[in-house]
Amino acid sequence: MLEIIDLTKRYGPVVALDGASFTARPGRIVGFLGPNGAGKTTTMRCVFGLAAPDRGEVRWKGQPVDRDMRLRFGYMPEQRGLYPRMRVAEQLSYFGQQHGMSGKAANASAAAWLERMGLGDRAKSKLEELSHGNQQRVQLATALVHDPELLVLDEPFSGLDPIGIATMTDVVREQASKGSGVVFSSHQLDLVEDVCEDVVIIARGRIVASGAIDELKAASGRQHLEIEVAGAHGDWLDGHGALQVLDRSGDKVKLLVDRSVDLTDLLARAKAAGEVRTFSYEPPKLSELFMEAVAPEPAADTREVA
Amino acid sequence: MPRWRSIWLVARREILERGRSRGFILSVAFTTLIVVGSFVIPAIVFGGDNPTKVGIVDPSPSGLQAAIEQSAERFDHKVVVTTYPSSAAADEALTGGGADLVVQVPPDLSGPGEIRVKRQPDQATAQVIAAATVALRVQNVLGESNVDQSALADAQRPPETRSLQAETEQDQAKFLVANIGAVLILVGIFSFGFTVLTGVVEEKQSRVVEVVLSTVRARDLLMGKVLGIGVLGIVQLAVFITAALIAAYATNRLVLPTTTPGTVVLLALWFVLGYLLYSTALGFLGALASRQEEASNASTPVTMVAMISYFVAIFAVIDDPDGLVANIATFFPPSAPFVVPLRAAFDAIPLWQIGVAAILTIIGIYILFTIGARVYAGAVLQFGGRIKLRDAWRSGE
Repeated sequence: MLEIIDLTKRYGPVVALDGASFTARPGRIVGFLGPNGAGKTTTMRCVFGLAAPDRGEVRWKGQPVDRDMRLRFGYMPEQRGLYPRMRVAEQLSYFGQQHGMSGKAANASAAAWLERMGLGDRAKSKLEELSHGNQQRVQLATALVHDPELLVLDEPFSGLDPIGIATMTDVVREQASKGSGVVFSSHQLDLVEDVCEDVVIIARGRIVASGAIDELKAASGRQHLEIEVAGAHGDWLDGHGALQVLDRSGDKVKLLVDRSVDLTDLLARAKAAGEVRTFSYEPPKLSELFMEAVAPEPAADTREVA
Repeated sequence: MPRWRSIWLVARREILERGRSRGFILSVAFTTLIVVGSFVIPAIVFGGDNPTKVGIVDPSPSGLQAAIEQSAERFDHKVVVTTYPSSAAADEALTGGGADLVVQVPPDLSGPGEIRVKRQPDQATAQVIAAATVALRVQNVLGESNVDQSALADAQRPPETRSLQAETEQDQAKFLVANIGAVLILVGIFSFGFTVLTGVVEEKQSRVVEVVLSTVRARDLLMGKVLGIGVLGIVQLAVFITAALIAAYATNRLVLPTTTPGTVVLLALWFVLGYLLYSTALGFLGALASRQEEASNASTPVTMVAMISYFVAIFAVIDDPDGLVANIATFFPPSAPFVVPLRAAFDAIPLWQIGVAAILTIIGIYILFTIGARVYAGAVLQFGGRIKLRDAWRSGE
């Protein structure tokens, strides 16, 4: 289990992390979400010792993370980069060995990953001779070549074509099913919703929401309600204060309701207005949870994240 | 994983990647070609077919000219013999280039005589002439009715060689070796130190450094890089020196001073120390830059120090190898790599000074590396623009 505990980091006047804490469970894919500048990359850098937090710590399996543990982690930074003039297979093998593999094991693993990425015939090519998409594949293979226990990917989907996205998704799922921890950041929320079981949402250096996506949705105060009453044009809703009407077309209304709304009462009203054809209750989309979570806090809110 | 393995992997990557690159192979081949060429081309142009101009000072023993010509033929050596009326006229020709070598032997063959050259004797021609005079004198002694054994022994003495200019042959060669040494160290520091500099910037520019540093400590990366590129520097230096020695020996262009092996060892030692000192400085300053163009700016102070040290060495120290400036510069790590081998080439430095200078330089390298590693760690992950040294130092914790 990866535990991020109270991480705080300032760069001069800029507060990059402000007491961020969350955990990532092994075998589960964690989507790490947040607007630009929220502290995602800084958090990841703290995991890899690339940034030293001013306060707080990172733990892995209950122990503070040290260099030897990091050798069993795999990292794909947001700013991609490998040695442009180094041959692809040698490059992968080099990084495998830097993670503690023997030369032989690293060579074998490099070859296997290149095969897996469909680059078996490019093993002797220099990185710069590959297309952008293939360079991305090599970058992913670099993070995986030593079979890491924890995989941390910063924006792995950015710049990928649909085939690349499919490969990336497969690999991420495969790693998680093997029991590895997988944390990745992304702005593509639909993709995250599709791939991840858990999400962590960070804003202004603090964690504003974290947990299983389903639980977060269920706990959300904002549920979607779609009601269709034949011939009623939605007039029957008038005078009901606690509702937010999202869309009204024909006989259909789409509503956003919070927990205080009595659904039984609402259904009774609809029935009174006419024949109820649809009364469907749906959890919010991840993107809505996200927007809600990252909305600026009221100034008076000084809550501490434990 | 032990740190040495991490450092070794970094160093090995540098050696393999750069050592196999066309650039490195070409540069080794090119410098070797220049060294060999600088010995071989003059040998072809000036040696061989061009006859050596030999001057004979009158009065001279009869038959001397014929003896020299005969001897030259035997040695397969071309000479043109001119007779000068006086010693002064001969020396004038020697200075003016009318004669390469002047021979003066007593007309009665009572002594071995003298060979005079302008600066450095041409060994082959000197041998030709010695053979001629010895033959004449031996014949003369044997021609007497009763052969005087001591006169016969004396007759076999070759003429003495004297240079018109004060420098002896050894000084000449020492000067040359010292100069070549200083240039080699300067070029080595510049070419390989700058390889470290551009290597650091390349890693930063390609962003690979973030992946590398997720497993490798920043100071281990810097150390591996400096050591790996240093190995290539040593390889190039070894090829260079071997080529120079072989070429010098084969073409007979240069009579190497007896101190040569020591000089070469000392040169290699100071090449390593100088390289380590300067490339460490260049390496961490490179981390302050985000692009290659900024890197040359960042490196300016180091370039200046290296150039000043070099000029102090070749002007002040060659001028007076045991003077005050030379003595001070010996104990100053940035100038020691240039000054110590130079002074040693002139036999103008006591052993204890070499030892103390080496220790001081090693301490300097250690301090610079400790500072440099911290600056490097603080700067290498900051992208965009030039990073201030102070900021890098602070964030390097």
